[in-house]
Amino acid sequence: MSETSALVILIAAILTNNILLTNFLGMCSFIACSGQIRTALGLGTAVTFVMTMTTMLNYIIYYFVLVPYGLEHLTYIVFIAVIAAFVQFVEMFVERFSPKLYFALGIFLPLITVNCAILGASLFMIIREYNFFQSVGFGIGAGLGWALAIVLMAGLRQKMRYSNVPQPFEGIPIAMIVTCVLAMAFMGFAGMVAIQ
Amino acid sequence: MANNPSPSCMTSGTGSCGGRGLLTLKEGIWANNPLAIQVLGICSALAVTNRLENSLVMGLAFIFVSVGSNMFVSLLRKHIPHRIRMIAEVAIIATFVILFDQFLKAFYWDMSKQLGPYVGLIITNCIIMGRAEAFALQNPPLVSMVDGLANGLGYAVILAIIGFFRELFGAGTVLGYTILDSQWYTSNQLMILAPGAFFVMGIVIAVFNALKGPDEQEVRR
Amino acid sequence: MKNNAYTLIFALVMGISCALLLTAAAEFTSPYRAANAKAEEIRNVLNVLNVSVPDDASPDELVEIFNKNVVQKTKAGLPFYSFVPEGTSNAPEAYAVQFEGQGLWGPIKGFLALESDMKTIRGITIYEQEETPGLGGEIASERFQEQFMGKSIVSEQREPGIRITRGSGQFGRNVVEGITGATMTCEKVESILNEAITKIVEDL
Repeated sequence: MSETSALVILIAAILTNNILLTNFLGMCSFIACSGQIRTALGLGTAVTFVMTMTTMLNYIIYYFVLVPYGLEHLTYIVFIAVIAAFVQFVEMFVERFSPKLYFALGIFLPLITVNCAILGASLFMIIREYNFFQSVGFGIGAGLGWALAIVLMAGLRQKMRYSNVPQPFEGIPIAMIVTCVLAMAFMGFAGMVAIQ
Repeated sequence: MANNPSPSCMTSGTGSCGGRGLLTLKEGIWANNPLAIQVLGICSALAVTNRLENSLVMGLAFIFVSVGSNMFVSLLRKHIPHRIRMIAEVAIIATFVILFDQFLKAFYWDMSKQLGPYVGLIITNCIIMGRAEAFALQNPPLVSMVDGLANGLGYAVILAIIGFFRELFGAGTVLGYTILDSQWYTSNQLMILAPGAFFVMGIVIAVFNALKGPDEQEVRR
Repeated sequence: MKNNAYTLIFALVMGISCALLLTAAAEFTSPYRAANAKAEEIRNVLNVLNVSVPDDASPDELVEIFNKNVVQKTKAGLPFYSFVPEGTSNAPEAYAVQFEGQGLWGPIKGFLALESDMKTIRGITIYEQEETPGLGGEIASERFQEQFMGKSIVSEQREPGIRITRGSGQFGRNVVEGITGATMTCEKVESILNEAITKIVEDL
């Protein structure tokens, strides 16, 4: 019985099981910050980094602390604490060593804490019972997938500024409908990845 | 995109907090609907609305957490150290979410499996965090609870609407009862999948916008 | 302004209170949750064996029906169930074996039910899977699982194992049609089922 390799999980997480377009996670920041490609790219990079690191951290904590001591009912609260602490830590680190980057990211860093995609990635990793390497692959892939979706959306929304959108649809509704089409397009990736 | 959240009833200076309560309720459901108008916290909204029953239970979860966390944050508002207030808020919210999740697993097992990790994701829901920070921290418990109820109801109503249409057109049923018989109606499977959720959500918000009329400054009393 | 000591104490007290409250709730709900999990497993076994079960049976009723009709043991290391209808003491009418393995995205678990000849499939049920909704996830649908009813776990050439095909047009008494766009999931399901089937056939 072969196990799905971490690489396959990574690629599939970007395309066929995109955490935003298939699992709906990370929508808030997606809607709020997908106005410009530049900001979308910045946010996407930050999210990918946090997602990868917290997935790894949470994996270790879950399997080496929570499970052995029978504390699974504290999973949610521990995970979110880890994420919040990590983001706080990254914020302090970035502020200290690269004020320019800190300024560029601005409000995004604290916003990442409440990005459901980050908590969601950790939770999915547990539900799907990934091993460590699969978890890392999933963390990176999910982050990249989210970043890809948000950058695509930013590009589309920039173009849409020149379109004639009916008034009730202006802003969020048309963005939602475009996301619908985007999600349908991503469904077309199914069956693309083959196991060696 | 958002209208301003309701100001504290203590600082508005006029009217009793009771009268404010009713206004808060109406605002949460209609004028300032967290999902349709402020467009916050859509993650859970989209994922669980593939069936009406799931939407209703999720709405219930939301109301429970919203009211509970607002109440507790408000009760403790004078004691929470400023520096760790966000973490404290998250801890309180997470506690309520986990409580609901545990009881769901114990007494409504099938639903717990349907909702999966999305109940847990209420913790990161922007609306609940936002209300705890913006409202509950500055207001007494009773009004905070009403605010939580208002937002919860507003959220639940939209979830129900989206869930209703997705289930109806995606499976031909409402709450499991067949309305559009498979004999003559080929169900639109896309409705049950991700794209359908985005689509229905877009339409619902557009309808809300159309009914509300062009953006106007609401008079704050 | 609150000083650092107060912050620390507050954080500690809050953390401990939350943890205590949640642990209490977990303890309180734990028996119900365990009963629900067991009831679900039992319901799955009963369903795949085609034992009639009222839709709204309570966990206790399910356990009762199970105990009256099914004998559980292990065969080749897998949980194995024999369906002996209540009131009769004949040979079992059907058997069920649990299969589980790694799908594409997460664990896949289910039961395979066989008729008394241990070759014809009575049905399968897949009760746990994390595959892509709408694609691989369709393995949990009735449409997919119905195909297995009446099929054989042994091919015409007497080789044990079922095959899940890509595309239609291939026939055989141990062949079922896969799901378009879910090749990998179907391959996983095929290998998981065959692993269980091989173990059973060897044990006969």
